[in-house]
Amino acid sequence: MKKLILPLILFFFLVLEGVAIDLLPPILVVGDYMMAPHWVLVFLALITIFYDKKDTYIAVVYAIVFGFLIDIVYTEILGVYMFTYAVVIYLIHSLMKVLQSNFYVTLAVVIGGLIASDVFIHFVYTVIGIAEISWKNYFTVRLLPSLLANILFLLIIYPILVKLLVKWSKEEYSD
Amino acid sequence: MSFFRKKRLFTILIGIIVLVVLIGYSLRERDELTTVEQFIKDTVGWAQSAIHTPVNYVTTIISNIDDWKLTYEENRILKEKLAEYKGLIYEVQEIKKENEELRKIVDKDDTIRDYNPIHATVTARSPERWVQQVTINKGLQHGVEVNMAVITADGMVGKIQSASQFNSTVQLLTGFDQFNRISATISRDKEEGNDIFGLIEEYDKETHSLLFKIIEESDQDLEEGELVVSSGMGGVFPAGLPIGTVKEVIPDQYGLTRTALIDPAADLYEINHVIVVDRVLEVEED
Repeated sequence: MKKLILPLILFFFLVLEGVAIDLLPPILVVGDYMMAPHWVLVFLALITIFYDKKDTYIAVVYAIVFGFLIDIVYTEILGVYMFTYAVVIYLIHSLMKVLQSNFYVTLAVVIGGLIASDVFIHFVYTVIGIAEISWKNYFTVRLLPSLLANILFLLIIYPILVKLLVKWSKEEYSD
Repeated sequence: MSFFRKKRLFTILIGIIVLVVLIGYSLRERDELTTVEQFIKDTVGWAQSAIHTPVNYVTTIISNIDDWKLTYEENRILKEKLAEYKGLIYEVQEIKKENEELRKIVDKDDTIRDYNPIHATVTARSPERWVQQVTINKGLQHGVEVNMAVITADGMVGKIQSASQFNSTVQLLTGFDQFNRISATISRDKEEGNDIFGLIEEYDKETHSLLFKIIEESDQDLEEGELVVSSGMGGVFPAGLPIGTVKEVIPDQYGLTRTALIDPAADLYEINHVIVVDRVLEVEED
C-alpha cells in the first residue's frame, strides 16, 4: 500500500493538470500568455530530492512512466514529455549527489529543471512544426509565465508534501 | 568509471532513438488509437470526470446565483419571444411536412444536412497549449467516431481527433492546420448561384481568426459580418453548421485569390457542453 502512494499522488497531479486548465477562469487561458503546468515534474523533483537515496532511481522510473502518460493523454505526440522528464529528473538526481536537500537548493534545482524541460519540449515541438512562435517571443509569452505558475505551485506543495516525503523515505529505507 | 560513462552515453543515445521513433509513429496519420492508449485515456478520463463533476457543480451554483438576479427581466423578454415562437413552430411544422413530401417525390431520404446529435461534457483541456485539445466524456461506445464535427449551441468548435472507448479527444478550431480543412460556404439567398464556396484552411494565431480561402474568383465582395457555414461538400461534416462571421477580407500574396478572416462563432475557450455531430448520410468509401 505504501508503495502506491507516490504513483497515486503523481496520477492525481496528472489528472489535475487537465481539469484545472479547463476550470480556471478563461482569462488565464485565453490571454496572450501561455501557462503550461508542469506539476508532475515539480513533484518528481521533490521525490528525487527528498525521497530517493543516492543509489535509487525511483523518480527517474516514475518520470518515464508519467511522462509517457502525459504524452498519451494530453498531446498524442508520444515520447516528448517522457524523454524530457526522464533526462531532467536524471540530471537533478546527479546534482543532488553533491548538493544538500534544503529549500533554497530545491527552489534553484526546480527552476533549472523547469527551464530545461520547457525549452527542450518547445525545441522538439518547433522541429516537428507544432509550435509556431519565435524564440524571442517564447521567453516572454510562454517560459516566464509557466515558470512563475509552477514556482507558485512548488511553494504551495512544498510545506505539505516535503515532510511526508522525508517520513516515507525513512520508513522505506530504514529496514 | 569509463565503463559507466559509456553506459550513460549509450542510454541517452537509445533514449533519443526511442524519442524519434515514437514521434515518427505518432505523427503518422492514424485512424485509431492503440488499445493501450485507449485504456490509459479511458482511465485518466474517468478520473478527470470524477474531479471535474463536483467542482463544476460548485462553480455552476455560483454562476446560478448570479443568474437569479437577472431572472425577472429575462423572464419578461422570454415570454414575449415565446409568443412569437408559437407562430413560428406552426410554420416550421408545415414547412417540414412539405419538405418531407417533396423529398418523397424525388426519392431522396437523407440529406447532408441531417445528423444525429451525441451530447457530451468537456472534462479536461490539454495543459500543453500548442496542442489545442479538449477531452469529452463520450467515446466509441456512444457512437463517436474520428473526424466527426463537434459543435456547441453557437457554432462549430472542432472535430474529433481520436476516440477511445469511453472518452474522446476534440481538436479545437484554434488548433486546425492545413491538414484539417473544412469546406465552407457563405450562402446568399438573393439569387441562385450566388453562394461563395471556399475552404477554411487554418487558424491564424496572430489575428485570432480562421482563414477562409475563397476558391473561385468572383466579383462579389464579402461584407463584414456575413455568416460562414460548413458546406457539407468535404464529405465528413454535415452542411449548415455555423463556423463564424467575416471580420476582414485580404488578398493573398499573389493577388489571385482572396482570404477572409473569420471570427469563430463559438467561444473556443469556455466550452462546457458540446454536441458531437454524427452525419446521417454516409460517404462511400473509395
